[in-house]
Amino acid sequence: MEYLASNKIAIIDLANSKITEEKLDEDLVRERMGGVGITQTLYERFKDEEPIVLGSGLLTGTLVPASALGMITAKSPLTGKLSHAPLTLYGGMELKYSGFDYMVIKGNAPKPVYLWIHDGIADINDASEVWGKDVWTSTDLIRESLGDLLIQVLGIGKAGESESDVAQVLINYWPSGDRWGFGKVFGLKKLKLVALRGMTLLEISDPSGFVGKCKELLLEVKKGPSAGKGGIGDLSAALGEDIQKWLEPIVHSHRSCFNTPYPTNTFVFLEEEPKRLEESKKNEPGFLITDLYALIGFKKLGLSASEACAVLRECARYGVDAMAVSELSQKSGKKKLEEIKKSFSTLKGSLESIGKGRFSPWAPNLGLSPAEWERRQAVAYIFGIHPIFIQLSPELSEERLIELANIGTGLEFTSETLEEVISDITK
Amino acid sequence: MACEMACGYHRDDGFALLSSCIMVTRGREKKDYYAVVVKEEENLVIARPEGLEIRKLRSTGEDDKGREKEDASAKPLLLREPCDLCSDRKEGPLCLQFCPVNAIYME
Repeated sequence: MEYLASNKIAIIDLANSKITEEKLDEDLVRERMGGVGITQTLYERFKDEEPIVLGSGLLTGTLVPASALGMITAKSPLTGKLSHAPLTLYGGMELKYSGFDYMVIKGNAPKPVYLWIHDGIADINDASEVWGKDVWTSTDLIRESLGDLLIQVLGIGKAGESESDVAQVLINYWPSGDRWGFGKVFGLKKLKLVALRGMTLLEISDPSGFVGKCKELLLEVKKGPSAGKGGIGDLSAALGEDIQKWLEPIVHSHRSCFNTPYPTNTFVFLEEEPKRLEESKKNEPGFLITDLYALIGFKKLGLSASEACAVLRECARYGVDAMAVSELSQKSGKKKLEEIKKSFSTLKGSLESIGKGRFSPWAPNLGLSPAEWERRQAVAYIFGIHPIFIQLSPELSEERLIELANIGTGLEFTSETLEEVISDITK
Repeated sequence: MACEMACGYHRDDGFALLSSCIMVTRGREKKDYYAVVVKEEENLVIARPEGLEIRKLRSTGEDDKGREKEDASAKPLLLREPCDLCSDRKEGPLCLQFCPVNAIYME
């Protein structure tokens, strides 16, 4: 695979600390396109060794609007099914540039380890420095230890280490869309985190043609239905759950994921004046809300916006899925901040919020039928497009994405190819 | 970040962040504090939320003290080519055209 790819797959065996590399076979790409089309194939190939597969989409990390998505594919401890979790913010982009298009992590390490994936090199390192630390501390420690503040960290906290069913894999300090308990899979493997950084050059088959089309598309997107909107509040309004007035007093800013025209995240200040422009003198003044449903869940418990965001922050430090915490707290009648925090280590119970399909229900359904939502998610996870933004932007049609993939890779994908891949990954 | 990718494309005809002369500093994400830095021939133009600063390259002013560690994520910029405003492109700087949230502009 020559274009828009690093042309490498890492097969990482934690049981014997062995790493092998394979080329990304162009025939595999022709048949399975990219993203979950390929992570699922790799999962099936190694499924006897309970793999976690990390990957990026065909167009991830490019100038295609909203090309922010990477993904984790593994068997969910909650459902027992093969499932896909989204990696947004800068996690998907950094994965794309790490020098590997896909990584298969199999086997269980005999003692805690972390992976350092950078510039086409994969290393398995001793994690004793960070094992036992919360997510925020381990992210800080690993960045300091490796000497780069821009490293993107896919990591677990104490929930994952203690193999909780509702443990989450987070991105740096912030919740990901992992609703599947993949944090437990990391914990079972004694895998504390995956540190990603890369300066790879992705070549383009037709550079000026590709970038010209990206520009056309961006101009259309900027005039589309998502124009002028942003933040978690606007998203909630689309769900009929208006939280704007409740949240607004603590909002500091709205934040986009890589190259995404709509900011789907909102940063709140909890120990700082929210309208402050200068850099805060406090090290940890607030929290980046990335999970709309979890926030709404805590609002429904009767918490104030500050209390709800404080719980979200504690969930992130501990590495537990905040949506699961809100649902289980509601079921058990816990409504106070302290009692919710104390419950993290003993969380148990069945969850309704995990969904029944392959794709994480973290991405809210913004007015589509369930079948349409699933199809849009499948397209997002194949091409590497933000799974919320793809619903907001009809301009990112299947035809346009196929056209961009063809110009960028020099391959000849058709709508029939896409149909076959979607049919396979959604069955 | 899209601005960095666009600049990288201008330099390399491919996608990479290594040669971009514009950079969004992301080293203080826990504080939600970001800046956009552009390397010019003789200056660094630093756009922070509270205002613009133009700093002479190699300056060691009092204002720099204590910022070294925080600004570490922007250090690689010093080794790169200065901005040429995409002089070979009639539509002007690519970074402006590709910013998805219209965060940068040119005067």
